[in-house]
Amino acid sequence: MADAPTISAAAAPRLRRGWRLFIFYSSAVLLTGLVSMLFADLLWRTGWSTSRTVLLVLFVILFLFAAIGCMHGIYGFVLRTLGTRRRITRLADYRAQSIAGTGTAIVFPICNENTVRVCEGLRATYESLERTGELELFDFFILSDSTDPDKWVEEERRWCDLVRELDALGRIYYRRRLYNEAGKSGNVRDFLNAWGRRYRYFMVCDADSVMRGQTIVDLVKLMEVHPGVGLIQTVPALVNAESLFGRMQQFANRLYAPLFIAGLNYWALDLGNYWGHNALIRTEPFMQFCDLPQLPGRRPFGGQILSHDFVEAALLSRENWGIWFAYDLEGSYEEGPQAIIENARRERRWCQGNLQHGLVLFARGLRGVSRLHLMLGICGYLAGPLWLLFLITFNWIHWYQKNSGLSDITLPAFNPYLANWSGTAHALLVFVICMVVIMLPKALALIDLAFDWQRRRAFGGLARTTLGVVGETIFSTLHAPLLMLWHTQFVITNLLGVSVGWGPQKRAADGTAWSSAVRRHWWHTLVGLVWGVLMWQLDQTLFWWFTPVLAGMALSIPLSVFTSRRSLGARTRKMDLFLTPEETAPPLELVALRARLKVHEITEDTTPRHPHAGLAEAVLDPYVNAIHVSLLREKQLNPVYAEQLARLGVGSGEVRTLGEKLLATGPDKLTAAERSLIMADAHALVWLHQQAWLRPDESLAPWWKAMIREFSWRET
Amino acid sequence: MDVSMESAVTGAAGQLAGRPLEEWNAAYVKVENYFHALRVRNKALLGQLVLRVLERAMRRAPAEPDRSATKLAAEEMDRLVVEWFAAVLQEAPANADQMLTTRGRLALLLADMPGRWQEQFLRPGPWPQEFVNAMRETYFRAGPDFQLSKMAPRPLDLGPITTLTNLGRLPYVRMAMVWIGFALLLIGVFWLTHGGFEQMNSRVSSLIDWFTQFYR
Repeated sequence: MADAPTISAAAAPRLRRGWRLFIFYSSAVLLTGLVSMLFADLLWRTGWSTSRTVLLVLFVILFLFAAIGCMHGIYGFVLRTLGTRRRITRLADYRAQSIAGTGTAIVFPICNENTVRVCEGLRATYESLERTGELELFDFFILSDSTDPDKWVEEERRWCDLVRELDALGRIYYRRRLYNEAGKSGNVRDFLNAWGRRYRYFMVCDADSVMRGQTIVDLVKLMEVHPGVGLIQTVPALVNAESLFGRMQQFANRLYAPLFIAGLNYWALDLGNYWGHNALIRTEPFMQFCDLPQLPGRRPFGGQILSHDFVEAALLSRENWGIWFAYDLEGSYEEGPQAIIENARRERRWCQGNLQHGLVLFARGLRGVSRLHLMLGICGYLAGPLWLLFLITFNWIHWYQKNSGLSDITLPAFNPYLANWSGTAHALLVFVICMVVIMLPKALALIDLAFDWQRRRAFGGLARTTLGVVGETIFSTLHAPLLMLWHTQFVITNLLGVSVGWGPQKRAADGTAWSSAVRRHWWHTLVGLVWGVLMWQLDQTLFWWFTPVLAGMALSIPLSVFTSRRSLGARTRKMDLFLTPEETAPPLELVALRARLKVHEITEDTTPRHPHAGLAEAVLDPYVNAIHVSLLREKQLNPVYAEQLARLGVGSGEVRTLGEKLLATGPDKLTAAERSLIMADAHALVWLHQQAWLRPDESLAPWWKAMIREFSWRET
Repeated sequence: MDVSMESAVTGAAGQLAGRPLEEWNAAYVKVENYFHALRVRNKALLGQLVLRVLERAMRRAPAEPDRSATKLAAEEMDRLVVEWFAAVLQEAPANADQMLTTRGRLALLLADMPGRWQEQFLRPGPWPQEFVNAMRETYFRAGPDFQLSKMAPRPLDLGPITTLTNLGRLPYVRMAMVWIGFALLLIGVFWLTHGGFEQMNSRVSSLIDWFTQFYR
C-alpha cells in the first residue's frame, strides 16, 4: 500500500490581502467604537455601576459581530456595483481551457439518508454532466455509512436500478463502509485511500446536493488554469423548499447571500473556506495534508474533529494551497431544513463542531485568515448566550434602578451634540443605529436587485421582493430569540459535556406536529410568558420595547407549527411572495429532479415497511440477493475491507449456525449484531437464499412465509 | 405433459405421482412464487415453467416416497435453474460453487430478462446471440480497480491549547488549585466582613420586597 502522494504548492503571490483585511475589519471596529462610545455615554448619564460595565462589554462584543455582518453587506454591495477582478473566475480566462486527461470523482457521502432523494439528485447531476459532452472524465461514487440494514439494502437496490436506467455501469459506483470511523471525514478518507490516486480532483456533494454539469466542468477548468489552487467552494443556492419556513430561508439565502459572499471574498481572496460540500478539491494536496488528527482531551472538545471542513481548509491554506469561493458560478444547489425544529437540530450539530474549533484556533502554522474563519464560526454560536446575558443584565439594571430608590434623573450627555437630548431620546438613537446596522444589508440587497432587471424579474419584481423582505424580517425577528435560547442551551450543554437527546421528530402530513412543537418549545413559551409578566410589572413602557423578543418566545409553538406548513408555503407561492430565481425559471436539473421525485411519490408503495424488511429482501429477492452478494465479494478484494470482514467474524462457522437459527425462528430472535454479521457474509446469504426457497414452509419460521408471499408478488 | 409422463403420474384417486393433490398444489405455489420473484410476469410462460419443474419432480416422486412434493419440486427448480445458468454462461455446473446462481441472477437482471427476454428464461438453447451476449458480457463493478494508499494524519501543534488540555496532567496542579480556592475563600470572607454582607442583604431584601409587591 502506497503512502499518500507528496507534493507541495509553490507559494502563491499574495494579493494585498493585508490591506484589505485591515480596511475591512477597521471599518467594523471604527463603527463599533463610535456606537459603543455613544452607548457608554448613555450608561454614564444614568449613573455608572459594575453591572453597567458588564453591559457595556457585552454591547461592544455583540455590536462588533453585527458590524462585521453589516460590513460584509456594504462591501459586497459596493463590489457588486463597481465590479471586481479579484475573484477566481476573473483572474484568468478559463473558458477555453481543455480538461482532457483529467479525472474527477463526484462523491456523495451518505448516512441513513433518503435513498430516493440521493439517487435522483445524483441522476440529475449525471444527466446534466452528460449534456456537456465531458461525462467520460467523471466517475460518481455513493459512499454509504448507513447503519440501518434496511437502508443498506435499499441503497444497493436503488443504485443498481439507477445504473441500469442510465446505462452507467462502470461510471456510477457504490461502496458501503463496515465501520463508520470518523464520520463523514472518515468516509471521504476511506474513499481516497481506496481510489483517490485515480483522480486528479474530487467533488464532495451532500445527500441533497445537485450540481449543474457545466458548473462542474467550469470548476475543473478553473483548477486546471490555476495549479496552485487546492479547493474551490461554490455557493450553493437553497432550492426545493415547500414549507413557509423553508421558502423564507431560501428567499433570504438567494437574495442576501450574493452580497455577503462578495464581501467575504473581498478579505479572504485565496484564503477562503470550505463548507463541506459542493466544492471541488485537488486530490493530492488534500490527501497529503488533510487527514485530521484526533484532538487531545475528552469529548465534547477532544477526539474526532466534527466540523472537519473549516479545519481541512485551514490545513490546505497552511501549505500555501489557494482556496477560493466561486461565488459567481451558478448551478450549485442544496436543500435546507423545512421547519424551525429541523433547523435547530442542525444548529445543535454545527454548534458542537464550531465550539470544538476553539482547540484548533491557536494551532501553530495556521494562516491568520484561517483563524478568522474559525473565530467567526465560533462567534456565530457564542452570540446567542451573550445576547441573553445582555438582556438579563439590562433588565437587572432597570429593576435595580427602580427599586433602589435612586434618582433616575439623567445627567447631560458628554457628547455636546446630545447635550440637550433626554435619556430616552439618547437610548432611542442607539437603538435606531443598532437596527440600521442589522437591517442595512437587507436594504442594500434590495437596492442591488433594483438595478439588475434580470434578477429583479427572477425574484418576481421589486414590489413583491420588498414585501418578501418585510415578511422575512418579521419572521427572523421572532425566530431570533428562539435561536438565542437554543444556542445558549447548546453552548452550555456542550461546555458541560452533556449530551441532550434529540429523538426523531414527529411529523404531521403537512409539517411539524403540535405535540412535537410543544415538546421542543414549552420552555421557550414559559420563559417568554414569565419574562413578559415580570417586565409588565416592572415597566410597561419597557415591556412594549421588548415585545418582539418576548413574542418570539411566547408564540414559539404556533410559530413553529405554522411556518412548517407546506400549505402555507404553497399559498405564499401563489401570492408570488418569497420567490427565488429557481422558482420563477427552474433550471433543467431541478425540473428533472422534481418530476422524478413526484413519480416516486405517486407510484411507490407508501405503507410502512415490515421490521427487518431489508434482511428479508437481501435473502429472498433473487436480484437484490445477487447484488448484495456481489458487492460483498468485491469488498474482499480490498485488504482493508477483507481484514474488517474477518474482524466481524465473516466466514466463521458461527455464521452458518446463526443462519439456521434465522430460518427456524425468524430475525427477532437474533441480536442486531448477529443480523449484521449475517448480512455481511456473502456465502451465508447465498445459502440462506437457496434454503429459504428450497425448504418446505413447515420448516421455516412463520415470518418467512409472510415475507415470501410479499416478495414474490410485489410489483417492483 | 406427454403420454408417458401422464401414465407415470396418474395413480389412486386424489393423488398424483403417489402424493396427495394438495401437496402438488403447495409445490406449484412454491415454484410459482420463486419464478414470480424473478419477475417472470407473463402468466402463460409462468404456468409453463412451473409445469416443467413439476414434471421433473413427478418423475422422481415414485422413487423417493419419503420426500414431500414441495421438496422435490424446489430441488428440481434449483437444479433446472443452475443447469440453465451453466449452459448460458458456459460454466460447468459440476465445478460451479453457489456463486454461479448469484452470477446468473445478476446477469438476468443486467440483461433485463424480465423486460426483454422473458421467453428465453429456462428455454433450452440455442438462444438469440444478443441475449447470450447480454448475459455473458455483463459485468458488475461497485468501484473501479483499487489504487490503495494510506493517508496519515500530520501532527497538529495546538499551541497554547495543548498546554491547557495537558494542565490536568501537570505535577502539583491540584495543589495549586487548592491554594487558589483558599485565596478566593479569604477574599470572600474579607468582602463579607467589610460591608459586602450588608450590600448583599439590602439587595436580597429589596428583591424580596419587589416580589412581595408583585404577588400582592
